[in-house]
Amino acid sequence: MAAVQETIDAVKEIGVEKYKYGFTTDIETEKAPKGLNEDVIRFISAKKKEPEWMLEWRLDAYRRWLTMEEPDWARVNYPKIDFNDIYYYAAPKNFEDGPKSLDEVDPELLRTYEKLGIPLREQELLAGVRRQGEPSALDGDPADSVYASGRVAVDVVFDSVSVVTTFKAELAKSGVIFCPISEAIRDHPELVKKYLASVVPVSDNYYATLNCAVFTDGSFVYIPEGVRCPMELSTYFRINEENTGQFERTLIIAEKGSYVSYLEGCTAPQRDENQLHAAVVELIVMEDAEIKYSTVQNWYPGDENGKGGIYNFVTKRGDCRGDNSKISWTQVETGSAITWKYPSCILRGDGSQGEFYSIAVSNGAQQIDSGTKMIHLGKNTSSRIISKGISAGKSQNTYRGRVSAHRKASNARNFTQCDSLLIGDQCGAHTVPYIEANNSSAQFEHEATTSKISDDQLFYCLQRGIPEEEAIALIVNGFVKDVIQKLPMEFAVEAQKLIGISLEGSVG
Amino acid sequence: MIEIKNLHVKIAAEDTEIIKGLNLTVQDGEVAAIMGPNGSGKSTLSYVLAGKPDYEVTEGEVLFNGENLLDMEPYERAAAGVFLAFQYPMEIPGVATMNFLKAAMNAQRKARGEDEYTTPDFIKKVKAAAGKLDIDMTMLKRALNVGFSGGEKKRAEILQMALLEPSLCILDETDSGLDIDALKIVSDGVNALRDPKRSFIVITHYQRLLEHIVPDSVHVLYQGRIIQSGDKSLALHLEENGYADVIASAA
Amino acid sequence: MNVVLKHNAVEESLLAMAGKGSASDSLREFGLPTRRVEAWHYTDLRRLLKHVPARAEKLSAEDAKTAAGDYPRVVPAIRLPLFDGQYLEEFADELPAGCSVSRYGGANGSNYAKDDAIGLLQGLMGAEGVQIEIDGGVTIDTPIGMPHTSTNAAYSGIAHSVSVGKGAKVSLIERYLSPDDMGVQVNAISHLNVGEDADVTWVIIQEHGNDATHLAQLHVSLATSSKLTIIMLNCGGKLVRQEIKIAVEGENSELNVLGVNLVGGESHVDVTTIMTHTVEDTASTQLYRNVATSRGHGVFQGQIKVAQAAQRTDAKMACNTLLLSDDAEFSAKPELEIFADDVLCGHGATVTDINDDHLFYLNARGIPIEEARALLIKAFVDETFEDLADENLEKALIARIDTWLQKNGS
Repeated sequence: MAAVQETIDAVKEIGVEKYKYGFTTDIETEKAPKGLNEDVIRFISAKKKEPEWMLEWRLDAYRRWLTMEEPDWARVNYPKIDFNDIYYYAAPKNFEDGPKSLDEVDPELLRTYEKLGIPLREQELLAGVRRQGEPSALDGDPADSVYASGRVAVDVVFDSVSVVTTFKAELAKSGVIFCPISEAIRDHPELVKKYLASVVPVSDNYYATLNCAVFTDGSFVYIPEGVRCPMELSTYFRINEENTGQFERTLIIAEKGSYVSYLEGCTAPQRDENQLHAAVVELIVMEDAEIKYSTVQNWYPGDENGKGGIYNFVTKRGDCRGDNSKISWTQVETGSAITWKYPSCILRGDGSQGEFYSIAVSNGAQQIDSGTKMIHLGKNTSSRIISKGISAGKSQNTYRGRVSAHRKASNARNFTQCDSLLIGDQCGAHTVPYIEANNSSAQFEHEATTSKISDDQLFYCLQRGIPEEEAIALIVNGFVKDVIQKLPMEFAVEAQKLIGISLEGSVG
Repeated sequence: MIEIKNLHVKIAAEDTEIIKGLNLTVQDGEVAAIMGPNGSGKSTLSYVLAGKPDYEVTEGEVLFNGENLLDMEPYERAAAGVFLAFQYPMEIPGVATMNFLKAAMNAQRKARGEDEYTTPDFIKKVKAAAGKLDIDMTMLKRALNVGFSGGEKKRAEILQMALLEPSLCILDETDSGLDIDALKIVSDGVNALRDPKRSFIVITHYQRLLEHIVPDSVHVLYQGRIIQSGDKSLALHLEENGYADVIASAA
Repeated sequence: MNVVLKHNAVEESLLAMAGKGSASDSLREFGLPTRRVEAWHYTDLRRLLKHVPARAEKLSAEDAKTAAGDYPRVVPAIRLPLFDGQYLEEFADELPAGCSVSRYGGANGSNYAKDDAIGLLQGLMGAEGVQIEIDGGVTIDTPIGMPHTSTNAAYSGIAHSVSVGKGAKVSLIERYLSPDDMGVQVNAISHLNVGEDADVTWVIIQEHGNDATHLAQLHVSLATSSKLTIIMLNCGGKLVRQEIKIAVEGENSELNVLGVNLVGGESHVDVTTIMTHTVEDTASTQLYRNVATSRGHGVFQGQIKVAQAAQRTDAKMACNTLLLSDDAEFSAKPELEIFADDVLCGHGATVTDINDDHLFYLNARGIPIEEARALLIKAFVDETFEDLADENLEKALIARIDTWLQKNGS
């Protein structure tokens, strides 16, 4: 209930400006020249002080990319992207050497974090305003709900660079590495070399290959054997500069018997131009280890007529390499003009498990084509997919998923439930599952439904005095509850709020 | 006080007129029972008063404490004090009953310019009301009406009525689907809410509910009109003789 | 930048057999579909279609007589026999009053869509069949059968066009047979118009031999308040693709599809359906039961499309598969494409083995495990055709299922 109330408050707060994070930050930046060529890649690599092998790796990817074609099978339409009209590198100017502490952070940037409302406590802690465990001046401030526990390590990526990573020292005590990937390339080359592109190969797909060539930053996480990461890890992505692409790269390795919960949040300012975001996320999970990866994606969706907004082309894949390993993807997708995203699990280890819990909300002119792939390779593997799509306005919302069992994947199990809710008669909801069984002991169950909020349910709420918009938010939050429950507590509140905001204006 | 004057109602999508010139006044504190055979327009009347969009009022007016009820949105009517206990309460998956109660109570309070309940106050109120209706708090953690038995659904309706403190309660066949024990609990719940400032419209098929909720007046609805009114003895008369002679004498 | 497609041997031979025309142009441009064409995702026709034999020779009068003489009937039916791509008018049964039949040469298409390979093949190779008109208000109690038998390893193009008038009631049976080990190829396209208030049952029985290629389409349009039941059994063939495309374009019309696909041996059987609801208040229900065994590859693609105007559509589909061998494969792609908000649409798809609990239960009652398995498989499939209005048809279909199950060792 609290969340519903907050949803309404949030909607009110926003008033005319629906997109809460649509501000820009006015700070000096340094950019690579516009466009894409080998020199730009050399520039990026040099800025990141990368070793030669990394540059070669990037150039090789770039050359492959030149021979590839953009995929066209998703149910999304957009004008052809001019890849030479994008800046591939932008960094706040005084961060060239990477910040050592928040004191070094440009005050403008700090103000940005404040507006984002998220890493406030982290700033507090790092700035020495308060010590760990002390009550915060922020207690009770609803805007701070996400990180209310004060126990979340954060990596913040601003356009092309990671500007701050918190709790590094404390994490290092338990052997956990949590740092910008650019730093990992310099400091942990053996790990990066071993695992980078081992789940998403360099030529996996058009956008992933592009990412290999031009990725600028992202997070690197390494959890050593037997370690349960002592706190949630989180990366906060923001695209600020105009005409800038963001190509982040995340690599998470969970060694035998380890566990980590990782959260990812994204925002971008409100701009009339489309901005490109092509990320690659790779997860590697060894025997008995588990990664829980949660995303709240709230890139700027463009205006009601489809002007502006982020093109979000993301490749996320996890490899359950060891026996009895587990990957759980949870996503709340409310932003972006176009979303093209299929967080997947390769269930390679015997007894490994994959989960995908998704809420995709589209309104205005948004187009979402998202889902998952569960590739069953090992014996006794299981997967579970719960997808809740909500379409409003003139948006198109597609679930696309693949579940396959290899010949040798005996006793593969899958359960899939895809429910779509339509609000208004101008939008579309589509379900495209691919179910491929090559083993007689496979048990696959897929179910999908599409419906609207029933008039009777709505009337019932109205009769109890709940106004229409609030009633819809209430019913929708009930509809997505199974997925919300999978999010870390603090994220769940934020997610419910976002859903309410995203659906604002969809009634009447 | 509610005054229904020459009310004519048809189904919005069709031309079938269901209520054909209905007149009824229920005073503050009065419990009015409406009885009538199937298809006489009883449920339609309850929906029209609550503002269900499937119906169209073609003539007449409804004054609720002097205000034109028909001009108000359904949620405004609720905030003004109109409560309908549904014959078939809706299931809303995923929405915990407690959350729903809080959403409804605070929405109404806000609409009336009152402060919203704090969580402890709210829980205290719910616990007290639920106890009287023999409702277990664990039931209220479940999604609203989802998987509730017939009796649980009706008790949940009365609980909402108690918490929302309306000034006009419309009970649409609240006795249907209840066994004798549940009927007693529900009726006791209703009786506890009887108040000089609160009026009731109790729609039912059977006299047996009226043994528990004793009405001040009884009205027979037939073919969209009130054809006879009387005191509680009219209900007994109907129980013994059926509707036939009342209908015959009205014709 | 138009890359000229390099044709493979099958495409070359098709182009050589066919004359000039829009079908040739289309084939030259697109080639046969590969899995890159979404509608053929699981049936890479360019790879799977190894060759297209020459068109069948015309039967001599004598051969025709022999062939038609001992023609096996599925159920008592009014028979319009076809052999090797020819309609044998002289051996056709007489049709009842209110019903007319004539030889039909197929609809000449043009502007083939990239995924309409079956239409394109027919355009290239030609076809023959029957055109049937059922007058309004007529009820025909005996089903009309259009059996086609292939007697040699040749290509047969079949085209039927059936129009059912207002309020008429009729059953039609499309049936395809060929002997085992004979590389026959059949390309069959039927068009069915169901008139206002009409009630039609359309049966497809594909019981080819184990080396047949069968590529077929059924196109249907449903008028206001009409009712159509499609009953389909696929229990033969080596390379089979049956497309069913239905335009539900009359308000209050109702569609039911019951399909069984038995996929064994080395066969590849693909059933692809597209239900398009374009008007208000229509309903469709589809149930498919599939069994894949041996090295069979079964494919089911079922699309439900609901246009923006089609409010209050009630569309349901279930596709259940038993996979009985580790060398067998089944691929399912049920799809929903919904543009109207006041709808109730859903699909379910399962791929499973026999339920162990059921197996144990029967076993515990003294039924040996193999026998119990066979019983459960049979029950799973038979259920689809339970309680058909036409008991004779039900028996005939069940008999064919039994034969197939015995032959395929399950």
